[in-house]
Amino acid sequence: MIPAAFDYTRVSTVDEAVAALGTAGEDAKVLAGGQSLIPLLRLRLAAPTVLVDLGGVAGLRGVRDDGNAIVVGAMTTHAQVLADPLVAAHAPLLAQATGTVADRQVRHRGTLGGSLAHADPAGDLPAVALALDATFEVAGPAGRRQVAAADFFVDYLTSALGPGEVLVSVRVPKRPGWTGHYEKFNRMAQGWALVGVAALVRRDNGTIAQARVALTNMGTAPVRAAGVEAALAGVPATAQAVAAAAAHAAQGASPTDDLSASAAYREHLARVLTRRAVMAAAHAT
Amino acid sequence: MRLEHDFTVPVPVEQAWAVLLDLPRVAPCMPGATLTEVDGDTFAGTVKVKLGPIALTYHGKGHIVERDEVAHRAVIEASGKDSRSAGTAAATVTANLVPDGTGTRVEVVTELTITGRPAQFGRGMIADVSAKLIGQFADCLASTITAAPAAAAAVPGPEPAAATAAEPEPAAAVPVPVRQAEPIDLLRLTGSTRTGRRLALMAGGAVVAGVAAWLVVRWLTG
Repeated sequence: MIPAAFDYTRVSTVDEAVAALGTAGEDAKVLAGGQSLIPLLRLRLAAPTVLVDLGGVAGLRGVRDDGNAIVVGAMTTHAQVLADPLVAAHAPLLAQATGTVADRQVRHRGTLGGSLAHADPAGDLPAVALALDATFEVAGPAGRRQVAAADFFVDYLTSALGPGEVLVSVRVPKRPGWTGHYEKFNRMAQGWALVGVAALVRRDNGTIAQARVALTNMGTAPVRAAGVEAALAGVPATAQAVAAAAAHAAQGASPTDDLSASAAYREHLARVLTRRAVMAAAHAT
Repeated sequence: MRLEHDFTVPVPVEQAWAVLLDLPRVAPCMPGATLTEVDGDTFAGTVKVKLGPIALTYHGKGHIVERDEVAHRAVIEASGKDSRSAGTAAATVTANLVPDGTGTRVEVVTELTITGRPAQFGRGMIADVSAKLIGQFADCLASTITAAPAAAAAVPGPEPAAATAAEPEPAAAVPVPVRQAEPIDLLRLTGSTRTGRRLALMAGGAVVAGVAAWLVVRWLTG
């Protein structure tokens, strides 16, 4: 399948990218790793007039230490995230979840920024970013701004990015004392998650002092499982207590029905996967 | 996919019926819809649906299948096609007006069918979005009918509002549940391209085998 005709611009700085998007207007699209956009183009479900390719922008790849956070460049590929020692040390949940994204080939081309900006509710990393309380740096015609993960994901395939804006980097707070786990369920290897659960907990001796839990594909955007988080606070890290808290997983979520799974089944999955994710994150017994 | 909406408007049935059938008036209620032609009980138009990077434009037409002035029931069918993605959308919209005190209760039932790549794409996303659009249409319809000046009640209009809804999501005659095909994860290269690659390999293999067979036959017979 051949995409509809489009113009292609390869930029070398973020400013050039913003300028190119401004010139091209609303029908322009940013090309990162292309692992979601190119299939859409080939199916002609998307037909932008201009593609602005960030592949040549220096400084958008890689991870740096920024004191109490690490900053991951938007064009850092999943494979680079997986191999990065800073991510391994300070945001192991991100690395573990990234390892479940698609397959090896996709992970070598697809980028963290691309999958976040694409805002697919079934994508794994938006929920992970939400659980980690990441902050997104966005460049636009009006300069730079910071957007919290909680405000970034708006709807199906819709983020808070304006038409002229580019996601520059993702700032992930270091969380000493926290441990995490991402658990997802899909019908076939490398398929989209029917439901995914990103769990982070801080243990205090034998109890769970604090938890952050975010769900993939339980709505049009990733959602926090606030009921679970509240129920987990202060409970002993035992299977029984975690299971009781996980029973709240689907509260406030509004999953969709499709041929892969009914909404009710997704709610069931959310509870089961939340229990598993929290058990693993908390090393509960 | 069956979508049901109902709402109550504070105007008598006759007045609501008149507004409902005034196609040019209710067409703008459908998000992204443009009415290009109205001719008696038939109409044509486009509906644009945008979802992140996805942009679909359905061109289609529809007609009023049933218009029961006594029972205040109208049925509209509409269907359309997005030429770029080769997807179709079809809707049968049934609107029933029931007196409710001094007002009117409007029941709108839409049977929506989406086919092609847009339907396969994205795990029900498009269906979900379509349902939202029709929900917005119903909301707008409610406020349009409510806002309609009494004068609007004058003559029972020609085109049902429901037609508008139909026109957007073009409709074929037979309502079928939404996607019949197994949803394909189009967003990701893995599933779809891998299948594509496999198909391509199979096709390539078949061609090679065919040519080889032909050569062998020629060699044997020649």
